[in-house]
Amino acid sequence: MTLVDPTLGLDLGRGWFPADAESHRRDAPRFCPSCAAPLGLAEGGHGLATEYWVAGDRVFACYCAACDWSGDIVLAVRVVGHEASD
Amino acid sequence: MLTAEQNDELTDIAPGTPMGELLRRYWYPVAFTRELEEFPVKHAKLLGEDWAVYKTMSGRYGIVPEACPHRRASMAYGVVEANGIRCPYHGWLFGLDGECLEQPAEREETNFRDRVRAKAGKVEELGGLVWAYVGPDTEQCPAPELPRFDVFVMDGVRDIGWADLPCNFVQIMENAVDPHHVEFLHGRYFQFMGQQHGFEAPASFAKKHVKVGFDAFEWGIIKRRVVEGATEADDDWAVGHPLVFPYNMRVGGANIEQMQIRVPIDRTTTRFMLYSVHAPEGIEFPEQPVVPDYQIPVFGEDGRHRTDYVEGQDIMAWVTQGPITDRTVEHLGRSDVGVTMLRRMFKAEMARVAAGEDPLGTIREPHERIDLPCEKNKFDAGPQFALDFIDMASSRFSPQADALKKLHITAWEGRQKA
Repeated sequence: MTLVDPTLGLDLGRGWFPADAESHRRDAPRFCPSCAAPLGLAEGGHGLATEYWVAGDRVFACYCAACDWSGDIVLAVRVVGHEASD
Repeated sequence: MLTAEQNDELTDIAPGTPMGELLRRYWYPVAFTRELEEFPVKHAKLLGEDWAVYKTMSGRYGIVPEACPHRRASMAYGVVEANGIRCPYHGWLFGLDGECLEQPAEREETNFRDRVRAKAGKVEELGGLVWAYVGPDTEQCPAPELPRFDVFVMDGVRDIGWADLPCNFVQIMENAVDPHHVEFLHGRYFQFMGQQHGFEAPASFAKKHVKVGFDAFEWGIIKRRVVEGATEADDDWAVGHPLVFPYNMRVGGANIEQMQIRVPIDRTTTRFMLYSVHAPEGIEFPEQPVVPDYQIPVFGEDGRHRTDYVEGQDIMAWVTQGPITDRTVEHLGRSDVGVTMLRRMFKAEMARVAAGEDPLGTIREPHERIDLPCEKNKFDAGPQFALDFIDMASSRFSPQADALKKLHITAWEGRQKA
């Protein structure tokens, strides 16, 4: 039995974050924003979505082998109106 | 973070897999030149497959799968002949191109040997290493040229440190596009180890990164950094140094030029090699009939990783990620942007190979030398970097470590006088 902290999703037994892995599987973009080809191998696609985090945002760095499109898709917790100058 | 399927695709190097097919489009070092001088045939493992690599009396090199096509005895125990290699079991002889030339126990009038062939690769010697190409070699997709990167052909005093590491090569390559690790793994952690064990860690590695950048270029990805006290005009940013796709990193500084080579032996074993050329200006280099090679330690007597030198710290970080790191539970941040860039590059090049195109870095023109961009003034540390490098990195295990320090000091003194 694993001990999961419901607040953080922290797997206290194994020391990693299965809840994050689950949300990654759920939320990763499934289709190319440019040509609509599937990105995931499971759907027959040949793309890649690598997730990284910036503050509260989850960013999926995507690549589509069907059309060679590449770019970041951001799941933002907040739309920011003013950015810092740098 | 990746899905399990994406992680599998990124790390599986078996024949027929996207990554396996991509990696089979490049040349790899499979032996030290001196090994085949000492004995003309040896076993080599590359990309999860076993091979026999050999050198004939006339100096020609060959490579065939280790298992004889007849009844699978090891060709690594074969008899090297003038025109190929003969199986030690029943004497079947295979030529340099893999054609079956003799089957001593079969009758001459049959055409059996015309129907048997070993899948021979191509082999060349360069810079003290024996290199093999085991990918497609057809009219539509001929074998590429062996790239003659600068370090393998430049003048200087060479040596090669190496270790076989129990992990997949991709996690080692991801380290090559991760500049931030330097100030912690080789800075703060090194200082901590020094405090615990009573030595002084080099200060140049601990400088804080102000800015990092990555540019794709014709041979891979150029990595740039600005460390505290330096500017974008300094070498670390203006020049940087490259990840040479798909399995090398070119580094250097203070007259030491190096290629860090990470050969995928199998899915969970990587041969890590540090090919160094010490080339200070203003001194005559001694003759080197044989390039020295030496094994660097991975574990200490207590079974823990040796982390009292720079590459030992890297090795600890690579290996403790696991044989194949589980990227479904990692947490990347903005500072890992180089890692995401490398994964995209692997994926894009897999797609190119699947589409019948040449992947990045394929070279088809004969050439003398390929110069790679690489900073000279490393970490803005000046000539002290050379001595730090020999004392505190893998070169300290070189059989010629003291001679190398003397070489750099003598050259430096000569330059001061001039």
